[in-house]
Amino acid sequence: MDFRSLRFKLTLWYVLILGILLISFSSFLYLTLSRSLYRDVDHKLRSLAELIASESTSPLSKFGFGNIDQALEATMNLKPIGKFIQVLDESGRIGRTSENLKSVQLPISLNALRNGSKGLVTYETNHSLGNTPLRIITYPVKENNQVTKMIQVASSLEDVEDALNTLLIILIVTVPSILMIASLGGQFLANKALKPVDRVTQTARMITSQNLNQRIQTLKVKDEISRLIDTFNEMISRLDQSFRQIKQFTTDASHELKTPLTILKGEVEVALRKKRPLHEYEQILESNLEEIDRMSKIVEDLLLLSKADIGEIRLNREDIHLTRFISGLTEQMKILAQPKNIRIEISNHQNEIHVFGDTLRMRELFINLIENGIKYTEAGGSILITLTKETDGSLSPLTPKGKKAATFAKITVADTGIGIAKEDQEKIFNRFFRVDKARSREQGGSGLGLSICKWIVEAHQGEITVESEPGKGSSFIVRLPLYSHQGENLDNY
Amino acid sequence: MRILVIEDEIKVANFIKKGLEEEHYAVDTALDGESGLYMSEVNDYDLIVLDLMIPKIAGLDVLRRIRSNKNKVPILVVTAKDTAEDIVKGLDSGCDDYLTKPFEFRVFLARVRALLRRERVDTEPILKLADLILSPVTHRVTRGEKEIELTSKEYGLLEYFMRNPNKVLTRTMISEHVWDYHFDSMTNVVDVYVNYLRKKIDKGFEPKLIHTIRGVGYILSPDRP
Repeated sequence: MDFRSLRFKLTLWYVLILGILLISFSSFLYLTLSRSLYRDVDHKLRSLAELIASESTSPLSKFGFGNIDQALEATMNLKPIGKFIQVLDESGRIGRTSENLKSVQLPISLNALRNGSKGLVTYETNHSLGNTPLRIITYPVKENNQVTKMIQVASSLEDVEDALNTLLIILIVTVPSILMIASLGGQFLANKALKPVDRVTQTARMITSQNLNQRIQTLKVKDEISRLIDTFNEMISRLDQSFRQIKQFTTDASHELKTPLTILKGEVEVALRKKRPLHEYEQILESNLEEIDRMSKIVEDLLLLSKADIGEIRLNREDIHLTRFISGLTEQMKILAQPKNIRIEISNHQNEIHVFGDTLRMRELFINLIENGIKYTEAGGSILITLTKETDGSLSPLTPKGKKAATFAKITVADTGIGIAKEDQEKIFNRFFRVDKARSREQGGSGLGLSICKWIVEAHQGEITVESEPGKGSSFIVRLPLYSHQGENLDNY
Repeated sequence: MRILVIEDEIKVANFIKKGLEEEHYAVDTALDGESGLYMSEVNDYDLIVLDLMIPKIAGLDVLRRIRSNKNKVPILVVTAKDTAEDIVKGLDSGCDDYLTKPFEFRVFLARVRALLRRERVDTEPILKLADLILSPVTHRVTRGEKEIELTSKEYGLLEYFMRNPNKVLTRTMISEHVWDYHFDSMTNVVDVYVNYLRKKIDKGFEPKLIHTIRGVGYILSPDRP
């Protein structure tokens, strides 16, 4: 048996607790019984002594200095079996004794004599006579406040000790036997309870990244083990899903990179098959450069996202006057929108909107959103940016100081473009998801822009959603926790 | 030999078209599965180059539907999907060869030649009729001891003839297999080119190989029909 196993520990604890319980119970039983037996003996001795005392002091007493046994029998019709009686005078000299004492004297201690002379009762246990100890009471008899004599009554403790010894033997034999049986039973129970755990362990051990579709067989009974199995299975499902996601992501990433590579390789190889006029080479080089730029963009975005995933990107957050910030940005974006004759307008109902964010990332976020708007809007369309404060939101944002912010900054970037089909709307923030692959590539997208936007917003404890109607346009709605400006110099966090 | 390239990435389609045309093939391109499938149904192609990840109708579905039309045209799948499962799925869906991106253009061309060869009974890499020899690899054409210089179109025409020897070829068949879809069938371009070719391979040689079948078309054969 493995001494570190749960099975062993469970049994050990079980036996230990049972042992402690049994031993305390046995001790209690033994002590209570022995105290009660001894008290009983004392009680009997005293009542007999009192009886003799009262008899001997009564004027009608038949207790002369004669036979105590006969006197007792005569006065009280009493035959005190197993009791030794001895009457002493006040100085300790022995007077009469009961017959069963024969020539032996009951021992009297100095302590008892001293107590007796003060009128106090003394109980003593004496081992000096024979094999069995004697319990002796020394009872002073007072007459006119004077101790005239002392009555000693003794009783053998043999019966009491026999009873106690028998009990002790019974306990010593039964407690260990019960513990032995209990330990076997405990082992059996632990085995029975832990068997499913072994099965779970075996199955779990067989599951690797290669066969994450396997599950541990569930039990019919709903107990702790079945909950454990359910938990395990849920964990495997989650692992399976994240493995799948990683695999999908890797496949997508490699496909994304393969297209520009195929173009580069193919164009160059075809070009090198024969001598060509200079302008053809120039064309090819230009096209190659385009593909190289595209690959750089993909690699850059991928790196950013993977860094973000492992939390390696620190935000340098500061107070941003959002209204001013977005106005500035929009002016720059108008240059990009000009060739397609797209108007960009801002409408903000409140002027003072502050957020606590990383300027660089915020710039990236809104440039991405506006650029997307320009890409997917036909010439002559428009992009409307709306800034508002929103009181109610599903998020519960925290200000840097940990206080609850009451409101959000809501920024909507709405275009009049081609829109997004309902079924694609939730996938649009997925990495490499593209509604129209050819179109997106033509526009030079990496397929990661909106994933990056989502990351930026979420890193700022905000949320991003999309509302769109195909043919009419799309609105990207960004909600960021409002920063209540308190004039404090806040550190990055 | 007329080839259809179904590929949604314009630049890829363009360089494949350019490279193939420089090898004297007639090439049409389709940028999505729907138009690709349509073109494969209305034209008689000698080979189809198919990308799998294409919009409107996915590549594998295009493949299955071409095959369900009883069309036995050789299909070369060219795709970025490179796992074993993908390759097995592609081949089992009915393609004849599978090439993963990015690819070597030389290899691509060799596979095109191999697939075109498969249509013929003999699988020799060179085409031969009487003492006329055409090598699809080097594009050299010889008759007897003499090397014959051909223009791109003349070469394409001769290759088509030599892949279908002793068979009457109508003007429509010739125009469909040698020219791409920009060809205007109302002109007599086919006759003009056949005459150019006849001058180069038959003038001064015996026996004459190109014969006119009046009202129908032409036949390439060492024997007079």
